[in-house]
Amino acid sequence: MAMRQTPLTCSGHTRPVVDLAFSGITPFGYFLISACKDGKPMLRQGDTGDWIGTFLGHKGAVWGATLNMDATKAATAAADFTAKVWDSVSGDEVLSLAHKHIVKSVNFTQDSNHLLTAGNDKLLRIFDLSNTDAAPQEIAGHGAAIKKALWCNDDKQILSAADDKTIRLWDRTSMEEVKTLTFNTSVSSMEYMADGEILVITYGKTIAFYNALSLELIKTAEAPAPINSASLHPEKDFFVAGGEDFKLYKFDYGTQEELESYKGHFGPVHCVRFSPDGELYASGSEDGTLRLWQTAVGKTYGLWKCVLPVCLDNSSESQCGEP
Amino acid sequence: MATPVPVLRLPKGPDPNSRGFDPNSPRYIALCRTTVATTEAAGGDEEELQQEQHARSVLRERFLRCLLAMNNKKVRFNMHENVTVEATFGSSDIDVLNFQVSDLHTPIGVQKEALIRSQDVISFTFDA
Repeated sequence: MAMRQTPLTCSGHTRPVVDLAFSGITPFGYFLISACKDGKPMLRQGDTGDWIGTFLGHKGAVWGATLNMDATKAATAAADFTAKVWDSVSGDEVLSLAHKHIVKSVNFTQDSNHLLTAGNDKLLRIFDLSNTDAAPQEIAGHGAAIKKALWCNDDKQILSAADDKTIRLWDRTSMEEVKTLTFNTSVSSMEYMADGEILVITYGKTIAFYNALSLELIKTAEAPAPINSASLHPEKDFFVAGGEDFKLYKFDYGTQEELESYKGHFGPVHCVRFSPDGELYASGSEDGTLRLWQTAVGKTYGLWKCVLPVCLDNSSESQCGEP
Repeated sequence: MATPVPVLRLPKGPDPNSRGFDPNSPRYIALCRTTVATTEAAGGDEEELQQEQHARSVLRERFLRCLLAMNNKKVRFNMHENVTVEATFGSSDIDVLNFQVSDLHTPIGVQKEALIRSQDVISFTFDA
């Protein structure tokens, strides 16, 4: 019996959702943070989408948001020229790091002791969170605003993507550029997968996979519409992408074939990420919502309930239909 | 004909009255160092806990009564960067994130109505 995907819509934001990130798997499950142009990033339970809290304090659009591995800390990057670090259990603002321009990207090291920030002032900054009085280390080199900066190679190196149409690999100790990838057009998104050292890059209608250490191209895939973000499944059998035609696309990683496409969002999809267990993926859109999609449609997981031919389960709370 | 996957319920949305981070959630109780575990204190003294809780409620009640007493009174706020401003106090929001004031005297003029961010305030004084 064919099952149709029922996306779970998480409402609450009042402006476009531009970034989202999952934490690792913690004893309390895993968590999801969403960055929104309304300036109020939200924390949600990762497997159900239930709202947990809103981080209040930014005075401008929040462009980037991230959680540390155990979801005890959150970091956000905003148009108010600050990056903020939050206690994501209490929701309190812990640190506000001033910058000289709009901050676009934030990323914790695995031990949560350092924060990498990047934005429109074209500089990468490394903040020591245990020594907040000290000035951050700065790495210059990009010729235009930096869209995304990520730690890679066990936090020994940094990958950055900027509007100068380059992606650069930097060595953290020497603070020097190691390698550069140049494109014909601006890169719309970049995701790093530590397990397997894979870099997922999107530009135009292309989703490209690179080796994160050598920056060698592994493979590419083409989507029917311009893509804003893509994410690779933890087991590397699928990847999902979303973009300007409002749809989510699911591809087979081995063959690069498009398997499925899903409608649901009412605006362009800005970000898409797989959960750490690969059971679902979340998408954020211009329409102000986040949607959770099942990887295996019809499987019982989170709020989705498997339907059996003979209903052995007496729970009468299950309901069919589009949310 | 494909049937849509059934769902138990929709994801819970934000609470319009608070910023969330429920202090009664298992994660908060386990991880928040400033919280007193109300069920079982790990190695804590039962009597000590009770005293501490009593002290907390007394202080909280005093703070709330103070906010009530300040209503419509002239209050002086001492803020960061050696800033001191005077205003007529209105009220606080539920999470004590903002104070609503009227006739805020600032170096650049008097603001008829304003919101003061509580994290910017170091202390405030008023005559009861």
